[in-house]
Amino acid sequence: MADRDEIQRFTMAERLIHWAVAIFFVYLVLSGLALFYPSFYWLAYVLGGGPVIRSWHPIVGVLMFVFLAAMYLKWRRDMRLDDLDRQWLRQIDKYIRHAEGVPEAGRFNAGQKLLFKTMSLMGLLLLLSGIPLWFPTRFSRNLREWSILVHEIAALVAIGGLIAHIYMGTAVVRGSMRAMLTGWVSRAWARAHHPRWAREVERPS
Amino acid sequence: MPTVSLEVKAVSATTTPAPGMKEAPLVAKLIDVSSCIGCKACEVACQEWNDLPPSVDRPFTGSYQTFPDLQWNFWQLIKFREILREDGRLEWTMTKYQCMHCADPGCLRACPAPGAIVQYANGIVDFVQENCIGCGYCITGCPFDVPRLNPQTGKVSKCTLCSDRVAAGLEPACIKACPTNCLSFGTKEKLLEIAHRRVEQLKERGYAHAGIYDPPGVGGTHVIYVLPHADRPEDYGLPRNPKVSWALKLWKGPLKWLGHLIVFGGILAAFVHYLRFGPHRVREEDSPPS
Repeated sequence: MADRDEIQRFTMAERLIHWAVAIFFVYLVLSGLALFYPSFYWLAYVLGGGPVIRSWHPIVGVLMFVFLAAMYLKWRRDMRLDDLDRQWLRQIDKYIRHAEGVPEAGRFNAGQKLLFKTMSLMGLLLLLSGIPLWFPTRFSRNLREWSILVHEIAALVAIGGLIAHIYMGTAVVRGSMRAMLTGWVSRAWARAHHPRWAREVERPS
Repeated sequence: MPTVSLEVKAVSATTTPAPGMKEAPLVAKLIDVSSCIGCKACEVACQEWNDLPPSVDRPFTGSYQTFPDLQWNFWQLIKFREILREDGRLEWTMTKYQCMHCADPGCLRACPAPGAIVQYANGIVDFVQENCIGCGYCITGCPFDVPRLNPQTGKVSKCTLCSDRVAAGLEPACIKACPTNCLSFGTKEKLLEIAHRRVEQLKERGYAHAGIYDPPGVGGTHVIYVLPHADRPEDYGLPRNPKVSWALKLWKGPLKWLGHLIVFGGILAAFVHYLRFGPHRVREEDSPPS
């Protein structure tokens, strides 16, 4: 593929893991909102009814955690924050305004790295706090009360992250949806959005 | 006791107001612990009237108590406790335990399924199993640890205060069966009067701390007790200061609003950002390769 004007951004395994997490997560958000806030209960009817989501939400939660753990293991090295990333974060307003002079990003930019760390942590918190809610009769009332609060707050942080992630990936950074579906990006795209990574990949070995 | 309406006052997980056209007198069950003889006629009457299947597979634990705890098919229980007083005397307490029918029911607040828990205008809190989704949040919301989940059906059940009988102008089955008048049923107002008189009698007989158990932390209850030692409700297996938990108030209060803010605010913020800044264009542009 050397003659191709494209470079590979995501392997098949990475894309599979990403989309497994994505589909499970969207289901969990919709069914979870129905279970936590009466104003969203109509989502329960869309998803097959209250008893159905009560049964499936925890099972899908465990499935998502398995893929989230795989994602963590696969990407954790690429997600370490370095000095340039910290500079990036200090000038995040430039990135938000699409202004010039944003420090160059590696394979992932500092925003993506923070999102990754946040989502991984929230996934762990959601799993741990979800177990007492799954089997309410096996745990103390006090633990269940704490679990509800932890589950709710972690879910809200994750939902905020999800909205930002979907928005960035579909509307703002054009080409990233194609990258996550096909695995490939143009060299221009790589140089523009992830210059340090582009140089690394393009360097003749 | 006149026929009291089963007009609905509050419905779980429902933001629109309940119909609430008719006024109904607030009802209550009074349990005068000092005159309970532990005969368990109330337990039998409850099983019979509500047609609850008996369970024979549960272990007996060598106590007078029928079962260690309430069950999905066993809605009321006389708790037998042996208490050693400071003066060395043994006190044997027998306390009927069941749903307290709180004026501010934590179960109803916690329930996510519309119509699975209702509170009638007469104060009775009832579970509607058809609408129950089996999540068990009511079990967490209840400060008295009363609702029980049936693992086979995934539905929660508890004492209904015989709402079916009450609607027809009858007293609950347990009250009908009680041979000592330890149990009585009527308007809460009238029963509080009777309870106050009973407390005075007990005080005259030397029970200095006799009193009424009608805990204010849950807005009062529609099952009230006369306790000979009201300063020690634990001796009767009753929580000292039951209240709607802070976790539940946070979840259904400020955190609910924060949740809506994050969902709708997040979507709105993304939309406004797009209107203001649009997609992130790059000079060479990510045009597809020719």
